[in-house]
Amino acid sequence: MTFQGSMRAGVAAIALFAAAPLAAQDQVPVTIVINQSPWFPGFQKVVELYTKETGNTINLDVNPFAGSLEKQRTAVRSETSPFDILVMNAGFFVEFYTSGFIQPLTDIDPDFKLDPAIYTFDNSVYWDPETQQINAQTGSLHSVPVNPFLPILHYRADLYEANGLEVPTTWDQLYDNARVLNDPPKMYGISQRGQRGTFDVTFDVMAYVWSHGGGIFADQKGGDFTVTINSPETLAGMETYIRLANDVGHPSTAGQTQTNVIQNMATGRAGHIQGVPAPALFDDPTQSAVVGLVNYAPVPGTQAMPGVAPLGHWLAGIPKNIPEDRQASALAFLTWFQGDEAQRAYAEAGSPPVSKAVLESDMAQQPEYRYMTALADSIPNARLTFVIPEAAQVLSVTELRFNQAISGELPLKEALNTAAQEIHDVMVQAGHDTPMLEPLQ
Amino acid sequence: MRSQTFWRNLTLAPALILFALLTLVPMINLVALSFHEVAWLNRISNWSFVGLRNYARLSGDTLFRAGIWNTVLFAVVAVALQMILGFGLALMTTQITRGRLFYRTIFILPILVPGIIIGAIWKLMYSYDFGVINQVLMLVGLTPQDWLGSSQLALLSVIVVDVWHWTPFCFLLLLASLETLPEDIYEAARTDGATGWHCFRYLTLPLMIPALTVTFVFRMILAFKVFDEIYLLTGGGPGTSTEVISFTIYRRFFTEDQTGYGAAISVATIAVIAMIIIAASRLTMKKETE
Repeated sequence: MTFQGSMRAGVAAIALFAAAPLAAQDQVPVTIVINQSPWFPGFQKVVELYTKETGNTINLDVNPFAGSLEKQRTAVRSETSPFDILVMNAGFFVEFYTSGFIQPLTDIDPDFKLDPAIYTFDNSVYWDPETQQINAQTGSLHSVPVNPFLPILHYRADLYEANGLEVPTTWDQLYDNARVLNDPPKMYGISQRGQRGTFDVTFDVMAYVWSHGGGIFADQKGGDFTVTINSPETLAGMETYIRLANDVGHPSTAGQTQTNVIQNMATGRAGHIQGVPAPALFDDPTQSAVVGLVNYAPVPGTQAMPGVAPLGHWLAGIPKNIPEDRQASALAFLTWFQGDEAQRAYAEAGSPPVSKAVLESDMAQQPEYRYMTALADSIPNARLTFVIPEAAQVLSVTELRFNQAISGELPLKEALNTAAQEIHDVMVQAGHDTPMLEPLQ
Repeated sequence: MRSQTFWRNLTLAPALILFALLTLVPMINLVALSFHEVAWLNRISNWSFVGLRNYARLSGDTLFRAGIWNTVLFAVVAVALQMILGFGLALMTTQITRGRLFYRTIFILPILVPGIIIGAIWKLMYSYDFGVINQVLMLVGLTPQDWLGSSQLALLSVIVVDVWHWTPFCFLLLLASLETLPEDIYEAARTDGATGWHCFRYLTLPLMIPALTVTFVFRMILAFKVFDEIYLLTGGGPGTSTEVISFTIYRRFFTEDQTGYGAAISVATIAVIAMIIIAASRLTMKKETE
């Protein structure tokens, strides 16, 4: 061997050694289809840790929100899915359960159990194919939660201290506090996510609507599909939302996306936002002008009802249309992921974990994980917005009509009455018995 | 002779088969789909025939109505501005004797940038809080505007982006055509005492009508397909103020998974656009023969 040849072999050996995982690969490679969310970088780091520890390969297929949904639909409807794990959103997972695309995890491994420390998020991991309903008692385990995506109140702790404000537990208190901080265009009392999207403005307003006793349907889980989006209670919730937007909010609330809202907080222009936990963003000096200044609390409620956050969490399901070895490999990753060590690493990587044990551990007392207490307090009250496969069509209605009400394109009552009629039409066409309320006058 | 015709047809056959496979078959499938509803149960797709029901839904669909109206408005206003600006720039460039290549390169730059990047650039420029446009307005003492979040301004803002993006396309096509106009008729006209305006009105404009027609039709076809700029800038909102038909189809077909209804919207849209383009072409051709 020549000198150059020896050098090349040596460099290659060093490179291989450096890249080598601690363990040998014992599973076939897994491909996960996932969306690009604020928590994604944390998930990516945990995947890298899994590869390092086990030697098993995980490929991530990263997409925008709607793009991920389309890829998942196409994958499960094909002969063989190119993806081994689907990371499904709270708004759409029922559609995959209902159509029989997701393999019950205990059918892959009868001994598989959800770790008792892992939240079930309004029992969304259990599905009963017979009754076609979410049911923890009769349903089988269909997924493992990946991320506790739900809104918590973010507020500027430094400004609260400077102005002697108390953390709000009602919308009225939030309004008062936002009024104190409101000094546009330097500072908006609150920045809300009012733009029409796939699951955007609906996700933002539901906390207001529910805590006033309103909703979209009377009782989806109980099978009562009476449309209540034009009830006086929903109207009251929306009036509260719009009052905040008009009086102490961003002048372009109807045009604000999740990215805008996060940007407003990160640049120091928002006194409050109702956002999903993305602590790594606000405490990273390269991305934030408010490092260490943001604190967290559960979303407010009313005097009559505590805050109820809508679930926008993510669930990992394994499709039926992949070979058994790929299903086993996917389950091996999920088994590892729900463990305490992985969940801690997930939190350390900047993404909120789905483990109660970690959220309530000593980590929560450390400044960088100060969001954990608010999140742990929010999860027990958090609710699914939809448990019906028609969610995508209903969302299309609510996204448009809520946005029109916020932008002033339609008067609020007209927007809600129109939404009620359109939701009724969607549900009737899908074969549901769907009574309606009298229109708001 | 018969044998020659046979061989001619035979040599055309591969192209015809390819055309049928790539164009006609998907179109037939789309039309067939528009009369069905597709549901999935136990991993099996169930197609149920619904007759004209999907088409009957169109007139009551807020997004479809807004999509058609906004698309027509967007296409007419944007393309008209692009034609005027593109033609104007092309006329000016032909007058330049030095550095023509430089100006030509500068003018076509926007068309080289992908739509998705243009969307990102303009979204930043239009940003209420951080955008350069509002910064300039505030610098001169004016009130910042909500360019993308206001129902009154959003469509106009998107049209401005489209004009910036696509004017070079018109410029390029019309410049190429202007450069081929025969110089001798201009010399003859000038000898007869024609002014610059006369030359433009009675020579350039009539001679350019075929090129203007082709450019207009090309641009209209592309304008009716606008998607990426809307997707990035406004997402169709606020409300329905920037909803365009491509976006409606995308929502109904893919996001809401209403494949049958999405197909019906697609077929109806193709029909509407075909009618508009045929009418526009006939009108222009009539003008040309006059």
